Amino acid sequence: MTHLTRRSFVGAAALLAAPALIRPSLAADPVKLGCLFSSSGTMANLEGRLNHVVRMAADEINGRGGVNGRQIEVLTSDPASDWPLYAQVGRQMLQQEKVAALFGCWTSVSRKSVLPVVEQNDGLLFYPLHFEGDENSKNVVYMNSPPASSVLPAVDYLMGPEGVGAKRFFMIGSDYVWPRTINKQLKGYWKSKGIPETAWREEYVPFGFSNFQTLVNQVRSFASQPGGQAIVVLTVVGSSIPDFLREFANQGVTATDVPILGLDMVEADLEGLDTAKLVGHLNCWAYLQAAKGERNKKFLGDWAAYVKAKNVPFSADTVIDPMVSAYDSVHLWALAAAKAGSFAVPEVRQAFANLSFDDPSGYTLTMTGENNYVSRGVFIGSVNEKRGFDVLWQSADAPKPVPFSPYG
Amino acid sequence: MPAFAAPLDRAILAGALCGDGAAQVGAAEGLVRAGGDLPADDLAYAGRLLGALVERRLACLPDGALLLAGQNAPEGQDAVTDARRPAAEARAPVLGLRQRAAVETARGVVALLTEGTPAARAAGLAVLERRITIVPAAVLDRARDAESDAALKGTIASLAEAAALSSPDPVRRRAAIAAVAASPSGAAAARLDALKSDPAYRADPAFRVALDAGLAQVRRAVAIGDGLAIVYNGLSFASILFMAAAGLAIIFGLMGVINLAQGEFIMLGAYTTYGVQEAFRRFVPGLLDLYLVAAVPVAFLAVALVGIGVEALVLRHLYRRPLMSLLATWAVSLFLVNLVRVTVGTQNLQFSMPAYVSGGVPVYADFVMTWNRLFAIGFAVATLFLTLLILRRTPLGLDIRAVTQNRDMAACLGLPTRRIDRLAFGLGSGLAGLAGVALCPIYSVNPGMGSGFIVDSFMVVVLGGVGSLIGTLVAAVAVGGANVLIEPISGAVAAKVIVLVGIILFLQRRPKGLFAVRRRR
Repeated sequence: MTHLTRRSFVGAAALLAAPALIRPSLAADPVKLGCLFSSSGTMANLEGRLNHVVRMAADEINGRGGVNGRQIEVLTSDPASDWPLYAQVGRQMLQQEKVAALFGCWTSVSRKSVLPVVEQNDGLLFYPLHFEGDENSKNVVYMNSPPASSVLPAVDYLMGPEGVGAKRFFMIGSDYVWPRTINKQLKGYWKSKGIPETAWREEYVPFGFSNFQTLVNQVRSFASQPGGQAIVVLTVVGSSIPDFLREFANQGVTATDVPILGLDMVEADLEGLDTAKLVGHLNCWAYLQAAKGERNKKFLGDWAAYVKAKNVPFSADTVIDPMVSAYDSVHLWALAAAKAGSFAVPEVRQAFANLSFDDPSGYTLTMTGENNYVSRGVFIGSVNEKRGFDVLWQSADAPKPVPFSPYG
Repeated sequence: MPAFAAPLDRAILAGALCGDGAAQVGAAEGLVRAGGDLPADDLAYAGRLLGALVERRLACLPDGALLLAGQNAPEGQDAVTDARRPAAEARAPVLGLRQRAAVETARGVVALLTEGTPAARAAGLAVLERRITIVPAAVLDRARDAESDAALKGTIASLAEAAALSSPDPVRRRAAIAAVAASPSGAAAARLDALKSDPAYRADPAFRVALDAGLAQVRRAVAIGDGLAIVYNGLSFASILFMAAAGLAIIFGLMGVINLAQGEFIMLGAYTTYGVQEAFRRFVPGLLDLYLVAAVPVAFLAVALVGIGVEALVLRHLYRRPLMSLLATWAVSLFLVNLVRVTVGTQNLQFSMPAYVSGGVPVYADFVMTWNRLFAIGFAVATLFLTLLILRRTPLGLDIRAVTQNRDMAACLGLPTRRIDRLAFGLGSGLAGLAGVALCPIYSVNPGMGSGFIVDSFMVVVLGGVGSLIGTLVAAVAVGGANVLIEPISGAVAAKVIVLVGIILFLQRRPKGLFAVRRRR
C-alpha cells in the first residue's frame, strides 16, 4: 500500500477538484463575468437560482449586441457553501480567467472571505443581498440595502400607528455576524428613541437549530407581560426559519397576537409550511414578487420562459429579491462599462457616478459615485395563504443608502 | 359611530372597508361596538364582507365594492346591489396588522352571534377571548341569551363575568376577579396586576383581599403551567434524540460500526413518507390523512432494505477495520445526500399535515400541548416497546444479544453471525427510517436534514452505554431535559456547550457510560 500523507492527499484532492470548480461556456472573444454562488451545500437551494439569473441577464444584453461591441460570457462555479472556498474560487476567476466582474455571495461571512481577494486584485464584486452595512470597499458594489434603508423602515412601520404600535421587542437570531450586528444597531436605534432596555430581549441559537419550543414559550410569556405590544425580530437563517414558524403556529400564536418581522425570510422559506396560520407575519426587502408594474410582469414572464427554455432546476413562478438584485447588477455593470467605454475596473468604477437603472421592483436604482452603494426602494411584505407575500407597504421613493449605522 | 347603529348602512360599511387603514379599523371596531344591537341579517352581511376582505376577495372600485368568487376573479357581485360587474380595474386591499386584528375581532363577533353550529360559535368566542377588553358587554349578553348549547352558554357567561373587571359595582368586580383567576394565564396575571394601581385597591379592603387572592392563584397556576411546559419540552426533545439514536445503539453496540450515514437513513425515512403521501394523494385522496400511519411500515422496510444493501455491499468487507468502516459510512452519507439532491431537488418538501399533527391544545395556564410533538413522543414510546419486544422476546433478539455479548462464542455455538449482523443492521436502519416518519411533522425535510442528528445521537449512545437500549433511553431523557432546563437560563448556544462538557466530565468518571453491557472479548 502506498503511503498516503496528509499533504499528498490534499494535493491530489485539489487537483481533482480544480477542473470542476470553473465551467466556462463557449463564445468567441467575449468578455468574462464570474459567478460565486453555491450549487451544493446548505445554500444551494437559494444561491443556485442566482447563477441562472445572471446568465439570463447576460443573454438579454448579448441579444442587444453585447457591451462595447463584445459579447458577455458567464462563468459559473460551485463554492459548495464552504466560506473559504469562495475566496479561492474568486482568486482563480480574477487571476486566471481575468473576469471583468464577479457576482456572488449570499451570507455576510462568505462576502467577508472574498473581500481581501477582490481588494488585492482590484476586482469588482457585485453583492446582491441586504446585509448589516458597516463596510465600504471600493471593490464591492453593495446592490442591496444596508439596515438604515431596509430594517429601520420596517421597524418604524411596526412601531408606528399604521403597524401595531410595537413597544417591546424579542430578538431571535442565528449566532453569527449578521444577526448580532443588526440587533446591535436596533438596540442603539431604540435607545435613541428613549425606549428602556427592559423592553427588549435578545436570544441566539446555533446554526441549523430547530428545537424552538422553549423559545416560543418565552416569546409567549414575554408578550403577556405588561408594557405594550410585543413583536419578534427574527434573524435566524436557513432551515431554522420554517422550523421556528411551524412551532410558533402550532403553539397557537398568530400574527395579530405577536407579529414576526423575518429579516431573512423569502418565499422559498415558506415551502412546506401551512401558511394559513402564519398570515400577516412580515418581511422587508428591496423587491417582492407581488410588486406592481409592467417591468415586474415582464421580468416574471422572462424568468418563467427562461426556466422553461433552459430547463432550469428551480421553480418558474418563484422570484426572490436576491434574484432581482443579481439581475440588476449585471445590467448596472453593463451600463457602467458602456459609459466608460472600457472593461477596466478603475474606469468602470468611475462610471458608477449618476448611473441609473429601472429595475423590476418599479423603482429607479441610482448610484452617486460617493460610494458603491445603490439606492433601492423598500417593500414590507405580509405572508399570505399561498406561501407568498403581499405588499403591505412600500416607500415613496428609493432612500439614499447610509453605509455606516449611527446606532452602534 | 352612528353609521353602524341599527339598521346597518351597507353602502357606508362597504365604502369604509375599501377605505384607508383608519377607515377599515373604524368600520370593524364600529361593528364590534354595535354588535349587540344589529339585526342578524345585517351581521351576516357584514360577516360576508369581512370574510371576503380577509381572503382578498373584496375588490374595490371608485364607486363601490365587489365580492369575488375567488382571488383575481374577472368579475364579481356588487356588495350593495348584487349586480354582476367586471373587476378588471378593481383593487383588492391588503390588510395591515392593526386592520387584521380589528377585522378578526369583528368576524369573531359575527360568528358568535350568527353561526349555526356550536363549534363555529365557539371558534368565534375563542377569537374574542384574546381581545376581551374591547368586546362590549352587550355582545356577550346577547350571545349568552341566544345560546342553545349549555356548555358554550356557561363559557360565555363566565367570560361575560370576567369582562366586568372595571365595572362600577364592587360585587360584580370581585366576581370578575374570581372569574379571571379561574382561567389563569400570563395575560390574566397582567390584567389583574394592572388593577393594583386602581384606587379601589387602597380604599376597599374586600377588593384588595379578592385581588391578592386572585393574583396569587393565577401566579401559582402559571408557575405550574410553566413547569408542565418544561417537562413536555424535555420529553419531546428526548423523544427525538431517542428516535435518532435507537438504531445507532443497536448497530454500534452489536458491530462496533460507527455508522455516520445514520442521519441520512433518517432523511430517507422522511422522503419515503413523502412518497407514501404522494401515492395516497394520487390513488386514495379520501384517506390522505392516514398517510403518516401507512408510512410507518413502508419507511421501516424501505430504509431497512437500504441498510441491508449498504451492509452487504460495503460494510461486510470492513468489519476488522473500524476506521475504514467509519470513512465508508461517511461516503455513503455523502452519496445519499447528493443522490436525493439530484433526483428530488434541494427544496423543503411540502407535506399536508393532518389535524392530528398540527396545532395544539391549551392544557393548563400557558401550557400548550402541540400535537406534532405529542405524536413524536407517542411514536418514540411505541418504538421503544416494539424494539424491546424484538430484542427480549424473539429468536432474532436472542441471537443479537448473544452476538453482542460474545461474538466468537456465539459463532462457536453455530449462530450465523454474518446473517445476524445483516439483520441487526437492517433493524437499526429501519429504526432510523421510523425516526424520519416521526420528524416529518416537526422539522423541515430536505436532503441536508440528517447531518444535524449525527452528533447528538452519538452523544446519546455513548452516554447511555454502548449497546444498551435502556441506557440510550435514559441518556436521551437526560440530554433533552438538561438542554431544556439550561436554555432559558443561558441561551441555546451555551446550553449545547454546557451539556457537551457535562457529558465529557461524566465519561471521564464512567467511560462505559450509564449502562455498560458486560461483554467478553
